[in-house]
Amino acid sequence: MNKSLKEELESNFKDIQVNIPEDNRLIINIKKEQVLNVLSFLKGKGYNRLVLISCVDWVKIGKFELIYHISSFENGLHLMLKTKIERETARFITVIPVFKNAQTYEREIWEMFGIEFEGNPRLIPLFLDRWKEGPPFRKDFDIREYVERTFGVTSRSQEKEEKE
Amino acid sequence: MDRNQIIKWLRQPDKMAQKYSLWAIYFCTGCGIIEVPPVITSRWDAERFGVIPVAAPRQANLLLITGYVSIKTLRAIIRTYEQMPEPKYTVGFGSCPINGGMYWESYNTIKHLDKYIPVDGWIAGCMPRPETIFIAITHLWTMIDKGMATGYKKYKGNYKYYRKNQEKILGELDWPPLYPIRD
Repeated sequence: MNKSLKEELESNFKDIQVNIPEDNRLIINIKKEQVLNVLSFLKGKGYNRLVLISCVDWVKIGKFELIYHISSFENGLHLMLKTKIERETARFITVIPVFKNAQTYEREIWEMFGIEFEGNPRLIPLFLDRWKEGPPFRKDFDIREYVERTFGVTSRSQEKEEKE
Repeated sequence: MDRNQIIKWLRQPDKMAQKYSLWAIYFCTGCGIIEVPPVITSRWDAERFGVIPVAAPRQANLLLITGYVSIKTLRAIIRTYEQMPEPKYTVGFGSCPINGGMYWESYNTIKHLDKYIPVDGWIAGCMPRPETIFIAITHLWTMIDKGMATGYKKYKGNYKYYRKNQEKILGELDWPPLYPIRD
């Protein structure tokens, strides 16, 4: 099942890497321009459920990695579409035209990582309550400094340093 | 009833009545609330200790904070606490309300609950067993007996301090002060 899908993907698209780490799981690495094409291709194949969109902050190489988890109710395959976008600009296109439920996931990523999704109509705060700082899930957001400043607490290690 | 307690009932009936009718409000924060259903139902049966859960803050006088308090929840906790009639008691359950616990390094959980509302007692542990709620309640009885559970008086007396801390975290509060703020 997954091997035939791998061959099909590799014959239809250029610059695509497909790995099979487990029996019913595929990891597909693609370029960011191809995301909508591959998603709509897979949706036509019957993989019509977007489970989740997740994001990884690779701060050392200056990239954000977006991962689209897609599955099918018919054969139970779990596909992970991975793509990398620039960290500096942090802009990407929305996938709402293909999967409607992407709206909330993109809204969460916009809030936590600060990635702007062009075409998403409702990028407004979701979880954070009157947040004034930068996006908290980015690796360069100093949580410890924020905690000490906001809640007025000091960490044990800092107290030790001051004593010495 | 214990024969020795008759003299207590005659001397200070108000305190004895407060002791044995603690009405805990259903207020769920964090994961500690999972210990409360067995406590109030037949397994541990909190009614033996006079603790009955109620749904509205206007009828309750015991507030159990069961677990980590996020900033959004803190707003609800303060509103709930201010609506409760006096005398009212607060017990922090688990290590997260004490000092943040395992959520110390988190951007949206508060670290010390007693900066924002007064807390009469703490139950340490992650998670505490359901029995510890009864230990806490019997401690609270002793404290009420000796006149030590005075969190609500502290809140009235130091309202300026508490309000200032609340405003520091929550920004502009959208409800009027409960007590007049004196300098």
